[in-house]
Amino acid sequence: MDKCKVLFIPDNKTVVVEKGTTLLASAISCHIHLNAACGGDGVCGKCKVIIKKGDLHCEPSGKISLEERRRGIHLACQTLVESDMEVEIPHESRLDLSALSSDELKLRLRGVFAEAEDIFEAKPRLGDDIFSYAPLVSKFYLEILKPSFDDKTSDCERVARALEEKIGLVPHLTGLANIRKLGALLRSSDWKVTVAVAHKGIAPEIISIEPGDRADKNFGFAFDIGTTTISAQLVDLNKRVTLGTKATYNRQATFGADVISRIIYAQEEDGLEKLHHAVVDVVNEMIESFVEEYDIDLNDVMCLSVAGNTTMIHLLLRIDPTFIRQEPYVAVANLVPVFKASEVGVKVNPRGLLFCIPGVSSYVGGDITAGVVACDMHESKDINLLIDIGTNGEIALGNVDWMVSCAASAGPAFEGSGLTCGLRATRGAIETVKLQKNTLEVEIRTIGQDKPRGICGSGYIALLSELLRCGVLDKNGKINRTIKNKRVRSGDSGYEFVVIFKEDSSVEEDIVVTDADLDNLKRAKAAIYSGIAILVRHMEIDFNQIKKIFVAGGFGTSLNIDSSVQIGLLPDVVREKYIFVGNSSLAGARQSLLSTQASKICDEVAKNITTFELSADPQYMDEYMAALFFPHTDMARFPNVKYGN
Amino acid sequence: MAEELKVLDRACLKIYELTMGACAASGGSRKKILKVGGQSAMPFLFEEGEIPHAPLIAAEVSDIVEDDCPFVLKNALKGLTDKPVDWAVEMMGEAGADLICLKLQGTHPDFGNKTSKEAVELVEGLLKKVETPLIVLGSGQADKDNDVLSAVSEATKGERLLFGDVVQENYKTLTAACIADGHNIIAESPIDVNIAKQLNILISDIGLPLDRIVINPTIGALGYGLEYAYSIMERARNAALAGDKMLAMPFICFVGQEAWRAKEAKVSESEWPGSGNADTRGIMWEVVTALAMLQAGADILTMRHPQAIRIVKKAIEDLMKR
Repeated sequence: MDKCKVLFIPDNKTVVVEKGTTLLASAISCHIHLNAACGGDGVCGKCKVIIKKGDLHCEPSGKISLEERRRGIHLACQTLVESDMEVEIPHESRLDLSALSSDELKLRLRGVFAEAEDIFEAKPRLGDDIFSYAPLVSKFYLEILKPSFDDKTSDCERVARALEEKIGLVPHLTGLANIRKLGALLRSSDWKVTVAVAHKGIAPEIISIEPGDRADKNFGFAFDIGTTTISAQLVDLNKRVTLGTKATYNRQATFGADVISRIIYAQEEDGLEKLHHAVVDVVNEMIESFVEEYDIDLNDVMCLSVAGNTTMIHLLLRIDPTFIRQEPYVAVANLVPVFKASEVGVKVNPRGLLFCIPGVSSYVGGDITAGVVACDMHESKDINLLIDIGTNGEIALGNVDWMVSCAASAGPAFEGSGLTCGLRATRGAIETVKLQKNTLEVEIRTIGQDKPRGICGSGYIALLSELLRCGVLDKNGKINRTIKNKRVRSGDSGYEFVVIFKEDSSVEEDIVVTDADLDNLKRAKAAIYSGIAILVRHMEIDFNQIKKIFVAGGFGTSLNIDSSVQIGLLPDVVREKYIFVGNSSLAGARQSLLSTQASKICDEVAKNITTFELSADPQYMDEYMAALFFPHTDMARFPNVKYGN
Repeated sequence: MAEELKVLDRACLKIYELTMGACAASGGSRKKILKVGGQSAMPFLFEEGEIPHAPLIAAEVSDIVEDDCPFVLKNALKGLTDKPVDWAVEMMGEAGADLICLKLQGTHPDFGNKTSKEAVELVEGLLKKVETPLIVLGSGQADKDNDVLSAVSEATKGERLLFGDVVQENYKTLTAACIADGHNIIAESPIDVNIAKQLNILISDIGLPLDRIVINPTIGALGYGLEYAYSIMERARNAALAGDKMLAMPFICFVGQEAWRAKEAKVSESEWPGSGNADTRGIMWEVVTALAMLQAGADILTMRHPQAIRIVKKAIEDLMKR
C-alpha cells in the first residue's frame, strides 16, 4: 500500500497514513480532534477543512456550497487522501479539548462550584455531610512490631494485626504482587509503612503498602462522564474538601453526538477500542492537569468514583454496549464491581481503585442514581422529581418508599448539537435572549461576555419562549411568514429568524434559528415533558403533589425556569418548587468518594428504582404527540402560559 | 330477573352547531340552510342527550374525472362526469344528496392546471343551479389551493360555504380568507386526535370562531383502516363531550373517495374471479363504510354512487327515528 504524508495546519502536525484514509481518521491519529457529531457519516457538516495542496477523492455533499467548494473546503470525513496533502483546519471545525477556563467553569458549574455553597447552606441535606465520613480508600501509617524468636508471626499477619489494632477490624491483604514485595519492603523501611485500605467489600482490604508515612496525602477524583461533557473534581479525602473542579468535552463526540450513534460506532472495526481510548484519554488528561495545578503526587491518588450513563460506563470499561440497543435493551452490567484503575487504563496510583456508581437500567445510568442520592430523594417522605436534562433526558420520581425513573431520548438539541447555529455551553454561546415585542430587536447575553459564536441550550429555550411570546412562532413552532421584519426571512431550508447579524457575531455568518431547528427543539422538549408526564401518570399522582423538582444537568445551571415552562419543557407548577442542583451526578460521585455509606446507599437506590421503558409504553406515543405543540395540546396543563396573541 | 340497568352518560359540552349557507337576509343567496353538530350525546343515543340534526350526505362532484375512475361509477354517472353542474343537479335530485361537495381537482398543476378564474366561474355557475350551500375542496397542491380557494372564497363572500382542507403545514392563507369572507373550514389531520386538536387551536388562534370548523379526521374504507379511524373519532368525540372544546366540532368523512379506492370496489369480476357481482360490490363497499362512519359520529358523509347515497340516506332516516 502507498503511504501519504498529511500536514495539518496551523497545528503543523504531520501524519503518515495509508492512501485512501479519510482526513478525519488522519487527523484523529495525530491527535487532532474534529467536530463530527454524526460520527463521520457526512451528514452533520461540522468537519469542514480547507485543502491547500494534494490530490483527494471526495464524496459530494449537500453540506458544502459551491462557493465553499471553490475555496477548497471539504468535509474531512468524506475526503480520502490520495497523495501527500496540506490541510488547514479552521477553528469552527475543531472539537475544543482544552479544559474550560475558570470563568467559564464558574458559569457552567455553578451547581458544583460556585453556587454549591448556596445549596449547602440553604439545604444542608444536599451537602456531603449527610453521610458519615468514611472515604472509599483511607490510609494509615503503621509502625509494625519487628519479629523476634518470641513472636514469629508472618509478615502479612503482622501488618494485619497492626492495622486491626488501629481500626478495630480484621483486614485482609490483597494482591500477590503486594505480598511478594512485602518481606523486603518491611525490612528496608524499618517496619514503618503506610497502608491504603479500601472499604467496599465485607472486610477492609489492604490494597497497597508503601514505605514511610504518607498517610496525610490521600486524594481521590469524582468524575461525571456525560455524553457531551466530562466533569471532574479533585477531593482531599483526609480533609474532606474539594480542591478543584474542571470540565471538558467528551472526545467521543468525534464518533457521534448521542449514545445510540456511539453504540453503533462501537460495533465498527476497532470502534469500541477508539471510543474507550477517547474517554480514557480525557480522564487521564484531566487528572494530569489537576496533579500539576495542585502539585500532588499521582501516587497519592488511590481512588476514583465515576458516575455516568450506562453506555458511557460501558465504553469507559471497554464493555461492548451493543445489547443496550437491541431488544429487550439489556446492559452487560449495571452494578459493576470495583476495578483497579490501571486495568481500565486510568493513570493514578497503579493500585488505585475505580468505583462506578451503579446504574438502574440500560438507559437510566449511575448518573441518575448519584443524582437521586445527592438530592436526598431516597430519604424524603415527600414526593420529589429529578429531571436531568442532557443528551438523554433522565427523570426520576419518588420518595423514601418508592422510586421510578425513565429515560427520554431528547437528543442533543439542548446541548446545542444538530442545530444550524447550535453550540455547547461554552465561551461565546448565547445563553439568554430578550426580544422587543414589536420591533423584534434582540438583546442577548453570552457565556464569558464574548462576541456571539452560536446558541447553547439555555439560549434556545429563552429564544423559543421569546419568539412564542412575540408571535413570531405559532403554537406549532413554525415561523409566521407574514411578519414583515428584516429578521424573518426565507433561508436555504425553509424560513429562519436571524438572532444576530454577522457584523455582530464572531463567526462571519448570521446566527439564525430555522424551521428545521425549531422542529428539532420541539421534539426534544416533547420527549422530556412526556417522559415526566408518563411517570406522573403511571404513579397516579398530580403534579401539585410533587414537593420539589430538582433540575440537573450541565446546561441546567443557567436555565431559565419560566422560559422552560413557557415552551412546555417543564410542568407549569409553582416556580418555588424548582431547585437547581447543577451537576447532581458529580455531587453524588463525590459523596460516594467520601463516604462508603453513600456508596452503599447508591447500590441500594439503584436496585430499588423501577425503570419505565418508554419505547414499550403504549401511552408514551400519545403523550409525545400531545407534547409536540407549544406549550402543549392540552392547554389545561399550562394554565399560566399565555403568549398574548 | 334484576331490573334492567340503564347507564346514561351526561355530556358536559355540546358539539358546536355549524351553519352552512346564508340566505339573502344574511348576506348570501342560499334558499336552503343546513346545520350540523349541536349534539350532546354519542351517535344515535337519544336517551343520553340531544341530537338536533341528522347527518348529511354530500355528493362528491369533481371538475375533472380521472381516467382510472371505477367502471361501476362511470356507468352510474354516464354523461355527467364532464359536466359538473349537471352532475351536481342530478345528485341533488334523483339521488337525494343533501348538498354537493365540489372538488376542484382540475386546478392541480398536474391534472389540467385550471386557473382560479375558471374555478370561480364553475362555483358561481353551480351556486345558481342549486339552492343549498356547497362544500368546496382544493386539489391538494398547497400553493395552488391557496390561490384558487382564496379566489373562490372572495367571489362567494357571505354565502357561508364550507372550504377545505387546511392542514397543519398550510392553514393560514385559507383560514384568513374564510374569516374575511364569512365561510366555514375543514381542518384535516392524519388520523391523530392530538394533531386534530392542535390544528383547531392554530386556526382559532388566527381568529376563526370554533363553530365554523369541521374536523376531517381522515378515514380508511372498509378493510383499509376503518376501525382505526373509528377509534380516533370515538376518542375525539368522547373528549369533546367530556368538555374539550377544541375537539367539539362536527366530523366530515370522505367516504366516497376512500371506498372507491379499494380494490374490492374497483376490480371487475373477470379480473378477480369469485369476488362477487362487481356492480353491487363497489356500492356495498361505499355503503358499509358510510354506515360505520355514522356510528363513529360522522356529521357529514361525502359519497359518490347515487345508489349508495339512496341506501345510506334511508338508513339515516331509520336511525334518526327515536
